Amino acid sequence: MALDKDIYAAFAGVVGEENICDDPAMMPAYFFTDFAAVILPKDTAEVQALVRLCNKFKLKYRPICTGWTGFFPPGIVLFDLRRMDRIIEINERNMYAVVEPYVTSAQLQAELFKRGLCTNMKGAGSQCSAMLRGHGHLDQSMGADDRNHLAVEWVTPDGELVRLGSLGSVGEWFSGDGPGPSLRSLISSVVPPSCTPGVFTKVAMKLYHWPGPVRYSLTGYSPRYLLAEKPANMMARYYSFPTLDQMWQAEIKIGEAEIALELMGFNAAMVAANITTSNEEDEAMFKRLSQEVQGPGFFVIIAGNSPDDFAYKKKVLETIIAENQGLSLKSVEDPEIEGILLTQCTRISASVRETFRPGGNFKSIPIMGQRDLTIRWAVGAGKAKLPLIEKGLIADDGGGFFGWGVEHGHLGKTEIFCKFSPLNPEAWKAVDAWAEEQAARAVDEKYFALTMGPEEQIEKKIGPALSNYHLWWNKALAALDPNEVIPEKGISKLHP
Amino acid sequence: MALEEYAGDMSMCCRCSACKFVPLQQVKGFKHANVCPSISRYNFHFYSGGGRLNLGYAGLKDGFKYVPRYLDTLYNCHLCGACDVSCKYGMDMEVLRPIQEMRIRAVEDGHPHPMLQRVVERMRVTGSMVSAGGQGRGAWAQGLGLVDATKTKVDVLYHVGCLTSFDPDRQKVAAATARVLERGGVAFGILGDGETCCGGRAYEMGHQADFLAQAGKSRELIEQSGAKTLVTSCAVCYQAYNVLYDRFGLKGDLEVLHVTQLIERLMAEGRLKPSRPQSLEVTYHDPCHLGRLGEPWIHWQGKKIPGDRFVFDPPKPYRRGTNGVYEPPRRVLAGLPGVRLTEMDRIKEYAWCGGSCGGVIDSNPAFAEWTAGERLAEAACTGAEAIVTASPWSEKLFAQVLAKRGGDLKVYDIVELVDQAI
Repeated sequence: MALDKDIYAAFAGVVGEENICDDPAMMPAYFFTDFAAVILPKDTAEVQALVRLCNKFKLKYRPICTGWTGFFPPGIVLFDLRRMDRIIEINERNMYAVVEPYVTSAQLQAELFKRGLCTNMKGAGSQCSAMLRGHGHLDQSMGADDRNHLAVEWVTPDGELVRLGSLGSVGEWFSGDGPGPSLRSLISSVVPPSCTPGVFTKVAMKLYHWPGPVRYSLTGYSPRYLLAEKPANMMARYYSFPTLDQMWQAEIKIGEAEIALELMGFNAAMVAANITTSNEEDEAMFKRLSQEVQGPGFFVIIAGNSPDDFAYKKKVLETIIAENQGLSLKSVEDPEIEGILLTQCTRISASVRETFRPGGNFKSIPIMGQRDLTIRWAVGAGKAKLPLIEKGLIADDGGGFFGWGVEHGHLGKTEIFCKFSPLNPEAWKAVDAWAEEQAARAVDEKYFALTMGPEEQIEKKIGPALSNYHLWWNKALAALDPNEVIPEKGISKLHP
Repeated sequence: MALEEYAGDMSMCCRCSACKFVPLQQVKGFKHANVCPSISRYNFHFYSGGGRLNLGYAGLKDGFKYVPRYLDTLYNCHLCGACDVSCKYGMDMEVLRPIQEMRIRAVEDGHPHPMLQRVVERMRVTGSMVSAGGQGRGAWAQGLGLVDATKTKVDVLYHVGCLTSFDPDRQKVAAATARVLERGGVAFGILGDGETCCGGRAYEMGHQADFLAQAGKSRELIEQSGAKTLVTSCAVCYQAYNVLYDRFGLKGDLEVLHVTQLIERLMAEGRLKPSRPQSLEVTYHDPCHLGRLGEPWIHWQGKKIPGDRFVFDPPKPYRRGTNGVYEPPRRVLAGLPGVRLTEMDRIKEYAWCGGSCGGVIDSNPAFAEWTAGERLAEAACTGAEAIVTASPWSEKLFAQVLAKRGGDLKVYDIVELVDQAI
């Protein structure tokens, strides 16, 4: 549906005719979402003006930056932030980088590597925005979620410009919690509906020390880039264990020893997906690795700041693995495969192989919680996938799940997903039902509360389990969004 | 294959946006991370590979709506294939193929681009993609004493191409190529005034029927010459003869070589010994048609295996840009005394398009120049004195943009440098 003429003129008055499109014929390009219009603001002032117009005309809007469109109700306005693509500052002394929404993680990371720094890129892939909140391969050593968001510039749902953290009091970007307003609980979106209301227009991302090279030296051609020379003092391994408990004990010990740059609880299917360049190759590799592992496992990268540091970390790692009867996967010890995993996992460049490549779609239940609890839940959720695999509705990953500790701790991320064809309605139905059942089980059996979940469960289960946060959330949202221009309600049920 | 046959591929697009950037492992900094000129210039998602696929899928389901914005999107694409390579780093799906088919469908549905239509009409009448300017196609060869392959059977045919034959500023490349081949001891002939267009650009413009008609004429002439090997200094012609003709069953046993491949061979065999030193810092632009688009065609027929995965029986081998002609030009440059190569950030299969592909040079010259300008700016970042390429179309556009914008960068066709070195 196109916009009313006057409304179109008002929006065009802000961004210029060349930066707005409301032609219904073009909207299918936006991944099956029938937006009323797509608008390309160039800076915070334009975002603010557009948001105010949405409030004036009572039009729902949603911003998007680099990657992955969600599903939205028809008729809303999309702000595509791709013209807001500047790295404003890389502050090496205070270890933060200020970015606009359309700076990709890959771009920021490449600049940071040159300075001996890194940021935790999200598992969604390095084509996604550098300011994205969430989790990634480097959670173990580089924090996660909103903990890496320092000061934030935020346009609230009704168009107010709010500067959070130190930015709000002293005009500096170094802290997310003050001096100045934090509002972290409002903007972090770590509980359903998992969407920050309004628009982040600039964010300071926390930076970390990078012990690796300023640039990986690659050879070969897409889709198989090989590491020409393994960087000194870096090593990647995959370890499998006889039991889940031994895996968990090893994970705890590695965290306590603070030796891992990355600890990623890949299952064999995810290793296979990463190192292969086609679905057929992937299938064969998964079969091979399934034979090779002795049980559940994880992938580890260690990186030393000196030969001695590397030798120490390696020795500690090997001791912990031996104590827990872990076995190193021979396939990953192959220098070629080790190199592929080392570069891909630190640059997060192959996420779509793990998720979209098999069938075109996936549905995930990502959770944050005490790892031993969430692992136990994930085992059940994995078993519940098996009938769907047997029926050929989802790709065979052996019922796998994955996860890791954050900041070397026991608290961590656990995730499980189903990969399937979006063209198969039976698969959609089965996967939705699986997700709903497993989400409910998580709360009913008191493992954790979901960070994303079916909407009705917020009121029925998740909210009551978490001090009725949803009632407070709704009150806060009503104050922030008096004209109800935030479209999030009902999103979890939308399909293309 | 018709667009319908790519419905499954188009439905696979998850809007991950990988098609907008160089393969992620190759992002070397803030600059030069983009790979698609169209989305980079026009910003709306429908100008990207993924947006185009979603539009194509919707068109198949609900019918194509040829509104001005759709046509603008359709024709403001270089069809350079960069999106295809970046997507296929992670995914198993066709990207460029359905985008090309969408253009063909538009032409078949009566919506050609008027400027491209004019170019194709000229080809129908004159057998050339460019204006002859009153001269014969073989005028550049007058006095060179080359073998006339319309009269004498040859093993090796030098196909010059439309632009190199007719453009006064490009004819030097034809002459240089002839000299280099002679110095290498290659017995070759040319068709001269009898040569005709390969038709490749008509295909890109969406005029598949015209391409096939023209390709038939060209193939017949080559057949009559007796040539077993066709060598060309034009990347577009190389891609047409090597890839498109193969795809449509017109190539037969003909060996198709770009001149850089032949020169590399001659140098390796010691038949060509560049010895005259030049002191030149250069960077090399991979023409799309020689690089990722020049990857050999893979004949495959199969069916999707029903179920959760997008897999086929027999397994589908994808063209992912892996096997383009990337190393021969570099090895040739490395063999020229005094020529030092510094690479740009975006090279080989993920090179930024030079701007002349996909008919854009005719349908929207300003966009073509913008794309070329971006490439020249990237070249300037290397500190090189000159940008070297292996396609007359890129060379012409680069020279045109530099003439307008100024700057010290020089532009060479690689054969010119070889010619100077021998």
